[in-house]
Amino acid sequence: MHPVSVLTFGIFIAGYITARWDLVTRVYELAIFAWDHGVITRAAKGFAILSILFALFLIPIERVAAREAAIVSSKPGLSEAKSIEPDDLQHPRPPDAGISAREQKHGLMRVFWPSDAPRDDIPGVLVGWRNSELDVLVVGVLQGVEARNVEQALRVQSIFRGSVHPIDNILDRCGHQPLHVLGTLNAPSATTAFDAKLLSLHNTRRDGPRIDCPRDAGFTVQIVMFDRPDPRNMQYLSKTPISLALGDKRGAFGSVPPFETIDKEEEAEKKRKEKLVEKLKLHTVVRHSSTLKELALPVIINQINCSAELNDLMQRNISMVGARFKRSLSVSERVVESATNLMDSMLLWLKHVFFRNVWPVVAQIFVLLLMAHRVVAEATLRVLDWRPFPHAAALKDVSATAQQVDIRLQQFCYWPAQYLTLQRRRGDWESIANSHPEYIRFYNSLWLVANDVIIGIAVGSYILENADSVGAQIDNIVNTYSIEGLQRTITWLMDQPAGLKLNNELAKFLGDFFLWVIDYWDNSMVQLRPLLPHIVRLIGWSSFAGASLPISLVSDLVSLLTVHIYSFYIASARIYNWQLTVIISLFHLFRGKKRNVLRNRIDSCDYDLDQLLLGTILFTLLFFLLPTVAIFYATFAGARMAIIALKAALDTWLACLNHFPLFAIMLRLKDSRRLPGGIRFELQDTPSALASSVSRGPDRHAQAMAPTSYIKLKSIPLPLSQIFSQYAQLGHRLRKHYLSPRVFLCLVSGQFVPPIHRKNMYSLQYSMLPIQRVSIGELWRLLTSKGQKDGSPHPNGNAGPGHGKGRQGKSSKVAPTYWWSK
Amino acid sequence: MLSIKRPTPTTVLYTVSTRDPPQTLVARTSTRLIQLARLLASIALAILLLHETCLAFPPPTTPPSPTAHGLASTIQALRLTPPLPSLTHLLAAHTTRLWRVLTSLGLAYLINRKTHTTESLLVIRGLGVQTSTSSPSYLWTSSTRFIPTSSIQDVFIHEAFKGFECRFYLCIVVEGEGEVVVVFPTILPRRSALEQIWRGTRACLYEPKT
Repeated sequence: MHPVSVLTFGIFIAGYITARWDLVTRVYELAIFAWDHGVITRAAKGFAILSILFALFLIPIERVAAREAAIVSSKPGLSEAKSIEPDDLQHPRPPDAGISAREQKHGLMRVFWPSDAPRDDIPGVLVGWRNSELDVLVVGVLQGVEARNVEQALRVQSIFRGSVHPIDNILDRCGHQPLHVLGTLNAPSATTAFDAKLLSLHNTRRDGPRIDCPRDAGFTVQIVMFDRPDPRNMQYLSKTPISLALGDKRGAFGSVPPFETIDKEEEAEKKRKEKLVEKLKLHTVVRHSSTLKELALPVIINQINCSAELNDLMQRNISMVGARFKRSLSVSERVVESATNLMDSMLLWLKHVFFRNVWPVVAQIFVLLLMAHRVVAEATLRVLDWRPFPHAAALKDVSATAQQVDIRLQQFCYWPAQYLTLQRRRGDWESIANSHPEYIRFYNSLWLVANDVIIGIAVGSYILENADSVGAQIDNIVNTYSIEGLQRTITWLMDQPAGLKLNNELAKFLGDFFLWVIDYWDNSMVQLRPLLPHIVRLIGWSSFAGASLPISLVSDLVSLLTVHIYSFYIASARIYNWQLTVIISLFHLFRGKKRNVLRNRIDSCDYDLDQLLLGTILFTLLFFLLPTVAIFYATFAGARMAIIALKAALDTWLACLNHFPLFAIMLRLKDSRRLPGGIRFELQDTPSALASSVSRGPDRHAQAMAPTSYIKLKSIPLPLSQIFSQYAQLGHRLRKHYLSPRVFLCLVSGQFVPPIHRKNMYSLQYSMLPIQRVSIGELWRLLTSKGQKDGSPHPNGNAGPGHGKGRQGKSSKVAPTYWWSK
Repeated sequence: MLSIKRPTPTTVLYTVSTRDPPQTLVARTSTRLIQLARLLASIALAILLLHETCLAFPPPTTPPSPTAHGLASTIQALRLTPPLPSLTHLLAAHTTRLWRVLTSLGLAYLINRKTHTTESLLVIRGLGVQTSTSSPSYLWTSSTRFIPTSSIQDVFIHEAFKGFECRFYLCIVVEGEGEVVVVFPTILPRRSALEQIWRGTRACLYEPKT
């Protein structure tokens, strides 16, 4: 049953139960009543007795009967084989007809077999591709027709009648070969002679497919069974994992300063490996040239992907095979047919009118709206990307909000183009799976935006309803942590913190200085305080455009409200760093050495006595003052790191809202064959009948089958690590950047820790977007070309009546304008 | 432990496992016993979870109505006093919730852990080779990698240092890749077995010269 109908049914039942609850309680009471009066125990007893009887008598009888039947059925097989033997002697097959001597010696027959092929006894004809002489792929089994007629039908292509799309599109994908008749299935006149041009197979329910190929023909057989991927459900097989991101864009985003070194290291590593690989090539002694079978694999995968649709088409047209076309309908039959089709034709006419008169106007208005939106978006994007100087930061590099708006607008710009690509998919066979990753990307971004808006509405309505209390809360938090908390800490530091004896005078000086700045900042904040509820309302309103917008606004607000901490950090880091440098150079003087800048080394140097004395005194002085400065520096560095961590958390949240592979995970759970991550083979056990005939080979020549291996071809679902590969890559680079010894050294020596560039952080989020967005002119051209198609014969709208007519006409006469008639 | 499955000369499956296939009665009974123990442990875990839910969401304490004393009271009793009361009560009485969570997580880990590793190499002439490694847990599937013959550059045995020992390994060089694919990467069987596999693979993979 269709999942939607199951869902509807479930909802109906649930609704009914809620509406008629008394029924449920009555059933419940009935069950309790039955339990109390021992009905259930009695029923269980009866069931147990019956099943014991079944196990004792019926199962042994069934086994005995099965064995007897097997003995009876094997006897005719024996006699048949004997009767065939003389026939075989009369027409001895030339030993190497059609097969070269080499193939004859080590012949390997490979058959790709769909696992849903019929397993009953009806004879049929195998149709499929012959990729090389001994390598075939079965597309379908046509039952109840003659092989000769099928060959004829394939040649004039009448078996592909009524296909919506040109069949050449599929054939081009599958190695430019036409379909062939490959052999027969369950043919009654089973000969044991083997002919690679016309195979003879048997497919039984118990053993699966089996090729009639005698052991002494010198062949070994591989039967590779595959489950057809269903193209209507967008399943397909692929040799390489499906890529969810849009190409490799490291070049566009990765080469911004802090990551430059990482990129360079990775590049060097890659070069080193390439060199090693080149060397490894020299070690290979024997080069084996690839055989045709080995090279056919990519084509075979395409053929498997197309096989379901082709099979459906052929099964639909099976009545065409070997049959003359019917006479045209008589007048009375036509009257009956038009009467039955009256409702349909009315609907079709209405549809036609709609698409002729209403649809073009609506489409035109929609296109114009889209273009207007695109122009506004382009202007906004230009503003966000504007740099006053060539090397200055653009607005979107500084502010998270600008970045977020930029991402959203770029997504909006990309959607029409993406949608048109997907629309084009409808004009071709479903089996052609080029645009499936695009489909996943498109719906993933749509779903994420919808999710974002839903969460945003919830958050926004909360914020708007409680704007005053939220504002008061924010004010309270900012006050407690960034002003009063800082003031308390500084006061504590000024007065021998934790028993450490700092230099009181210097600590007092520094503390007073910072306290004074904080006081000034506090005063200016008091001026801003009445504005806070309005800002909160603004954030609340903004969240109706998605929860990501308030988050990025909060992130920006945090950076604005903690500007003073940032400046304290920079000031104290400068002081600390200067002092450290001076101490190091005075230490060299103390040792009687000095640093040679030209050679970048330390030379010995003869200082005068007064130089040495003054230097040593200064060294001691600065050394004893260092702890005081270091403690102030450590405080502000800690505060700064906390703010960076907070902003990183907000950014992670944003990344999840903007990029989480929700659709891919849903597909992975629902139908993992839509997310192929490669193929794998599984060696099946050889069925017992074949194995026994092989083992009995020497004494019964006629029955001995060629050794056969059964292999199952399966699709590997995309592993979760691949779905989250973008996150893993970003995490790896962030770790490499922040947990490197260089950063720790910077932190300890008071140098400025290079913050990670927004571009690097957001390379993840842009991975779903093209580097160069579709320009306005291009979009206009795309949309208008689609508009023309909409106006005149529309692929979806007008194909309806055309298709219907074609179907009506198919039964009556052959329309002369089929594509193959040219 | 190396086992070979060769239905035809053109298809071979080499399987290396850290556990012998159970042949003797003792081995077979021991595997059955371990399975039984796993089953019992998982049942105990389920009961523990049920008990925890009862503790977290206590059932209504209204006295059972006189009409619902049959089936309903059984369920009620089951919820109030789970079977195996001594164990769960003991745990609930003597440990904190954190400890119980930790024990159940550890138990779940032990239940789902596989005691042995199996690695295999499937060679199919005309298609390629496929390496696979079984997963350490019953919860997820084994990882496989298929390499088509056209992209195999070479197959060879090499030696490498691992810790303080020198181990031989069978590896496949894939064209255009920076790293070789090591076959049987976790078990790393002995050299004699590797040589046998290597010979078989070369013979099976390529068509013999005429």
